[in-house]
Amino acid sequence: MKDIAQFAATLTLVALITAGSLAWVNKITKPKIVEQQKNELTEALSSVLPDCIDGSIVPVKENDHILYYLGYRDKEQTRLIGYAFLAEGRGYSSTIRTLVGMDTSCTIYAIKILSQQETPGLGSICEEVRSGETKPWWQAQFTGKTAKGIAVDKDKGEIVSITGATITSRAITNSIAESVNRLFEQPGSNDIDK
Amino acid sequence: MEIQSLLIITISAIFISNFVLSRFLGLCPYIGVSNQLDSAIGMGMAVIFVMSLASVVTWTIYNFFLIPSDSNLLFRIFMHSQGSPPDLSYLRTITFILVIAALVQFVEMVIQKVSPGLYRSLGIYLPLITTNCAVLGVSILNIDSEYNFMQSLINGFASGIGFTLALVLMAGLRERLDFANIPRAMKGAPIAFIMAGCMSLAFMGFSGLKIG
Amino acid sequence: MSVGKEFIKGVYKENPVFRLMLGLCPTLATSSSVNNAVGMGASVIFVLVCSNFIISLINRWVHPKIRIPIFIMIIATFVTIVDLVMAGFFPALHKSLGLFIPLIVVNCIILGRAEAFASKHGSIYSILDGLGMGFGFMLAIVIIATFREILGNGTWLGLSVLGKNYQPALLMILPPGAFLMIGILIGFFNWFEHRRTISRSSQT
Repeated sequence: MKDIAQFAATLTLVALITAGSLAWVNKITKPKIVEQQKNELTEALSSVLPDCIDGSIVPVKENDHILYYLGYRDKEQTRLIGYAFLAEGRGYSSTIRTLVGMDTSCTIYAIKILSQQETPGLGSICEEVRSGETKPWWQAQFTGKTAKGIAVDKDKGEIVSITGATITSRAITNSIAESVNRLFEQPGSNDIDK
Repeated sequence: MEIQSLLIITISAIFISNFVLSRFLGLCPYIGVSNQLDSAIGMGMAVIFVMSLASVVTWTIYNFFLIPSDSNLLFRIFMHSQGSPPDLSYLRTITFILVIAALVQFVEMVIQKVSPGLYRSLGIYLPLITTNCAVLGVSILNIDSEYNFMQSLINGFASGIGFTLALVLMAGLRERLDFANIPRAMKGAPIAFIMAGCMSLAFMGFSGLKIG
Repeated sequence: MSVGKEFIKGVYKENPVFRLMLGLCPTLATSSSVNNAVGMGASVIFVLVCSNFIISLINRWVHPKIRIPIFIMIIATFVTIVDLVMAGFFPALHKSLGLFIPLIVVNCIILGRAEAFASKHGSIYSILDGLGMGFGFMLAIVIIATFREILGNGTWLGLSVLGKNYQPALLMILPPGAFLMIGILIGFFNWFEHRRTISRSSQT
């Protein structure tokens, strides 16, 4: 009996020391981690809504879940410039998440693929940056296209698929078209024609 | 549909992202135990059981004790007068591994009572299930993929099956390989890895499966 | 037990990956690029050295029966520290190593060395053992990663090595490439060791 009590005491002591040290390290690193995550999102939003300055992109939420973002010209929210939303689609071997920024007439400003785990050398070319450039070349073609009804060339659309990676290209493009349709089913979204 | 998502998880775990052949989890026992079919099957069964149980227990502990949500039991019982539940998710790694170690101890005792033959044949590899990356791996994957209870259970179970599948296939091949003429330097682990490479290549064919 | 010997043994003779065959999961998973390999290696060195040190200090007060849970708690603490620090200060590396950072806690090398060495030797030798084994581990992953990244991507540490016209062998950065590479390398080391033993015994 005395043995078990001794074991329990030692284990509890070690547990308290380890939990305590972790709590301390967590306290120190947590602000940095939160800052990192916020920076990532802010950076992505600014890259798809280039005319909006910092702080003028506002999320629209429903039950703590972000539906889309409204991009204004300035912090006072006087003039709406466009929208940003997340499009998700199942690609060849992973779920691809794309952030899309478009203006009030559904013309895409830019897209930014946030995460994908497609086949290296094929599907992953969607994120490839050529040497000497700063942005992925395949995503650049989305700029200026109409988001509604956007499709890949194989589906009689305007987007040129990646050679050998039709499924990935189609998944990304279709997820954008579907998200736009869903956006207009939300009650309260600013009306846009067409 | 719930059933559909469970089916997707199952097929994914067994074939498309097989734990051993494409996620690289569970390799140490894979190389160590896979030279005989019977011990491979026994090991596989034990791992399936531990992985399912571990998935469920770690999911419960994470979602009811560690994350800052309203269902956090510690919060409900001890501190509901204060502001918000504490975020203890950084204790995830240490809690999970201790839970797994305890579960493996428990399974060891059960097997010793129920089937001493199996206990003897598994030998040292039974306690080593604790350090099997697949068990801790599936627990963390469940959390990262934000599965609910049922999905976590199915993922744990199916991943165990995927592991066992790879293990049994390898054991069958290695038993045959004993009769082949292999250069001395490649005998044992090297040829096993090369075979694993071929199997991994074969399983890559599943990655285009259109499901759901 | 000389100081140099304790360090060197982890690098070649008792290399945890190529000779002892421990820590295989993170080795194969993070060997797709040299950058990841160095990141994983450095993390493991940190955890190994710290846990070896602490365990060699507290060993006399710990009853053998409960040593495993205590070792696990200590190792898990250092792994969590690495996880948190990396998430805050090296987010890109944290993202690419992903699942395998918390999996360092079940890396057989760390628990194995705690059991086999740190619990039986003094602090200085434990630290050296940790450094040697950790460095040997990192070296092993970097070697595999070098082959995989150069053949499969044409780069080393992200810098283009084989020029623009090289068509990368994609297989090498996919899982099968990892298995093939490590099989070939272990076979090579076996052959090399065998030749050394022959030449040594033929000299006597």
